[in-house]
Amino acid sequence: MFPLRFFQNRPFFVLGVVFLAWLILPIFAKRFLRISFFELQAPVDLSVSYVRDLQDYWSLRTRSANALIAAGRDLARLNASYETALQQNVTLRREVERLESLLKIPSFPEHRSEVARIARREFNGWWQHMTIRKGRNFGLVVNAPVIFTGGVVGRVVRVGLYTSDVELIGSPGFRLSASLEGDARQLSYQGSENPSFGAARGIVEFVPLDVTAGGTGAAKRVVTSGLGGVFPAGLVIGELGRLESSGDGLFKTGEVKLDPRLSEIGEVTVLVPVRTDGL
Amino acid sequence: MRRTLALFFTSYLLWALVSQINHEISGWRVSLFFGGLFVVFPALRLKRNEGLLVAFASGLLFDVNAPIWFGCHALLFSAAYLFVFHFRSRVPREESLIGAVIALLANLGIFLGISFGAFRDLPVNANIWPRLLTDLLISQVFLASIAPWFLALQARALEIAGVDLRAEHRGMR
Repeated sequence: MFPLRFFQNRPFFVLGVVFLAWLILPIFAKRFLRISFFELQAPVDLSVSYVRDLQDYWSLRTRSANALIAAGRDLARLNASYETALQQNVTLRREVERLESLLKIPSFPEHRSEVARIARREFNGWWQHMTIRKGRNFGLVVNAPVIFTGGVVGRVVRVGLYTSDVELIGSPGFRLSASLEGDARQLSYQGSENPSFGAARGIVEFVPLDVTAGGTGAAKRVVTSGLGGVFPAGLVIGELGRLESSGDGLFKTGEVKLDPRLSEIGEVTVLVPVRTDGL
Repeated sequence: MRRTLALFFTSYLLWALVSQINHEISGWRVSLFFGGLFVVFPALRLKRNEGLLVAFASGLLFDVNAPIWFGCHALLFSAAYLFVFHFRSRVPREESLIGAVIALLANLGIFLGISFGAFRDLPVNANIWPRLLTDLLISQVFLASIAPWFLALQARALEIAGVDLRAEHRGMR
């Protein structure tokens, strides 16, 4: 018979049993639970997101016709400048393809753009994630880059049937190969802790000693380097802030100021890789 | 099973509410965490296995989107649940004030547990503590204000599900 003390502490014995049971639970069971609960959350995220969009629509309906005409006119000017940039882009792409075939070098990875609305943001002290309103139903894949008009947003870390999770570049666990705009030397970017009521920021490491920040000129921009082929090169990550020498004195470590719009964007673009090498 | 489902439904509602509040306040780099509120009512009022299932399932709602090892929240919720369950005979279980105080303490314990779990899996350092403490302080203030409402909601959900806890407790005495 068990002693009385065992019955008095039975809840802790049960706790130990629960821990053990979870440790030995098969991986497929844990995966099934994870997928099930992920899809259980999706209806809430999607429905609230659609209600929010409806709210925005009805608030826009209250605007005067003149305000809407002015906004439409400004957008038309913006679209015209984008059309010009698109035409230049097509010309440059043709030139790149011609040079690739001439020099027999491999092509840059191609991407298909999927625009997705943001359903939910989760910016706590431990991580920063967003849920977007597209998933496997639109061909999204894990590790796909996510961008917006201001540059990099993050990468897709989990794909469900109708929704996907995106890890933000400000999240402490996010790492990316980077470089300074106009400089080919490789840096390492990592998300950093984001103080309450403060601006989002990251850390850049392995900055060469001859690089300086601040001064009278415009702040240097940190961009993706394209190393690894996941993120296309040249996408803006943020602006280089203050620099200080690293512990070993061989490089500098710096702070990166991220775009403040990251915490209020409503729509992002997911770059879904398109395989063109026949594999 | 009816009680488990009824209470899990209220947990799901609270999770949805808190996640939307966190969405709206994300621009201020502040977030709320109400983990303690998910375990206190089952721990104080239900039988052990029923409440444990509710606490574990509530933890899995948080585990899905967390980039730390899957099951961390569920096990921490279960640990908090069993700890409260062990000591519940020593407190007036039906008092809202007691429930709120226990929810605050459980929330503190779970929050610290997740922080250490995050430190294990994520590349963070001590500079993260001011942010975490700010979130914890704000969360505790809001939790203290909504705890009585949520405990009453869960009791009402059980009544709608046809469970009369008061009668059962009288019968058990």
